Amino acid sequence: MHALSARLKRAKGNFSLDLAVDFKQGITGIYGPSGSGKTTLLHLLAGLEHPDEGSIHIADRIIVDTENKIWTPSRKRQIGYVFQEGRLFPHMTVRKNLLFGTIFHSKEKALIAFDEVLHLLELESLVDKRPSQLSGGEKQRVAIGRALLSAPKLLLMDEPFSSLDMALRRQIIPYLIKINRKLNIPMLVVSHDLPDLLSLTRELFLLKDGYVLGHGHYFDLIEKENMLDVMRGSGLRNVIPFTVETHDTENGLTILVNKDASQEIRVERELIKNCCLVGEDMNVSLRPEDIALTLKEIADVSIRNQLPGTIVKLIRKENRIYCIVDVGFKLIVSITQASQHKMELCEGKQVWCLFKSMALQINF
Amino acid sequence: MENFFSFTDAEFSAIGLSFRVALWCAVLILPLAVFLAWYLARKSFRGKPIIEGLINLPLVLPPVATGFILLLLFGAKGIIGSLLFDWFGIHIAFTFYAAVLASMVVSFPLAVRAIRLSIEMVDSNLESAAKTLGANTFQSFMRITLPLSLPGIISGFVLTFARSLGEFGATIIFAGNISGETQTIPLALFSQIQIPGQETAAFRLLLVAILFSFGAMVFSEFLVKKVHERR
Repeated sequence: MHALSARLKRAKGNFSLDLAVDFKQGITGIYGPSGSGKTTLLHLLAGLEHPDEGSIHIADRIIVDTENKIWTPSRKRQIGYVFQEGRLFPHMTVRKNLLFGTIFHSKEKALIAFDEVLHLLELESLVDKRPSQLSGGEKQRVAIGRALLSAPKLLLMDEPFSSLDMALRRQIIPYLIKINRKLNIPMLVVSHDLPDLLSLTRELFLLKDGYVLGHGHYFDLIEKENMLDVMRGSGLRNVIPFTVETHDTENGLTILVNKDASQEIRVERELIKNCCLVGEDMNVSLRPEDIALTLKEIADVSIRNQLPGTIVKLIRKENRIYCIVDVGFKLIVSITQASQHKMELCEGKQVWCLFKSMALQINF
Repeated sequence: MENFFSFTDAEFSAIGLSFRVALWCAVLILPLAVFLAWYLARKSFRGKPIIEGLINLPLVLPPVATGFILLLLFGAKGIIGSLLFDWFGIHIAFTFYAAVLASMVVSFPLAVRAIRLSIEMVDSNLESAAKTLGANTFQSFMRITLPLSLPGIISGFVLTFARSLGEFGATIIFAGNISGETQTIPLALFSQIQIPGQETAAFRLLLVAILFSFGAMVFSEFLVKKVHERR
């Protein structure tokens, strides 16, 4: 059962959107360059725009069906929408902003209690402030809390990171993951920033010029050349889920293992801080440029992370070669053409992937 | 010039009448002007320029002409006037109601203009946010648009009140200059000026007119400031 399916057509000036999407439970990322129709899609789903043609289903409920003249207004769709700029009501306190949606639905429908939202998003100290007194990140959290309290069956987020600077982006991500784990509510997150999106989810829809270029798991998408092209624009990342295995306090390292425990990597404890217990899950992010390939394991080197694998695919882009290496999970590695020639790299070849633990970024 | 401030009964009644006409006018106009201002600010529909033109017409039309149109419509032989009399036995022309109606028509465009401007200043994105949170159009208007455009609505109210205090042309044609019934301050002032030797009385009324209008403006500034402070 899909959490949401939609077939939508909409023409605006010289832009036209024509797509069919089916979203699963959990977090789905919608990625595309600006002007690809991401926000239009969210507007259509939320009922802020009318499709020329099409239908929308949430679970088994028909929200829109132009053929049968079915139209549900925004207020009855139970879709929480977190806007790019927050759109907090400036004349109300944070408390009143948060409670706004609760005025219009019965208590039984509530997804989450007020106190729980305060706790989850750490808003306790802000409730009596006005939106003008909040920082960008605080506004964003209030906007998320307000949407959650309106008893949504689905959460839409439009560029939740774009109004925040780098440090704040990293702060908002754990909240979103917490919400998804705790409330089990499907979330669609729109972004033109791939690394940020990947730290939330690897289930992606790629939009370009108003149509769906592809959808599925990030690593399945990256193997397709036309999609790699689109995604390259905002910086590729390897994002791999790991679990904390042990803390090697003596050497100041933490050992992480991947899902089937076939590979382990070492991370400096500094990076993880002290917040991770053994058994905890986390996403590790790594840039393709930060991985080196060798033909055999190297003993006399300071790089501790050396993973053996097989080259699954080589993709040539101008003077760069992107190698997809299966090391138990897939890694995308960027090398120069010269290196490829010298090492005679081809699909099926055995290689070792080397990367410094300093190059890793941790997302919780 | 024995006592400058000894108002005659006629003058007292003119002051009281002016106040009553202006208040009724402002109170009756407000809901209509707010609704129309919102509609014009937020909706686009066919024939919108014509509606806007009609509303603004009294702003550029000589008030005397407006009064004449009202007289033609609401007079004893007018289309509306004769119907009102036949059905309800009501006379409008040359009564207190006529004075209020004349003021309303003349000050309506001012009210709509001031309120519409302030509604247009409210980010309509906030209204769509309210709708995704479950509010219908009326609820989002009452909870978001109205409080955020309150300063403009207050100005609109006071502007209407002040314009009504100064209304002369349409009133004298449509409501006449009947002491105690339709003779407001400007009409009384006009009558005094007509009579030689009544300059003192005219001057008294002039001061009252200035005081009223000035007071209304100061009061409105005060209210708007209060609203801003609350934010």
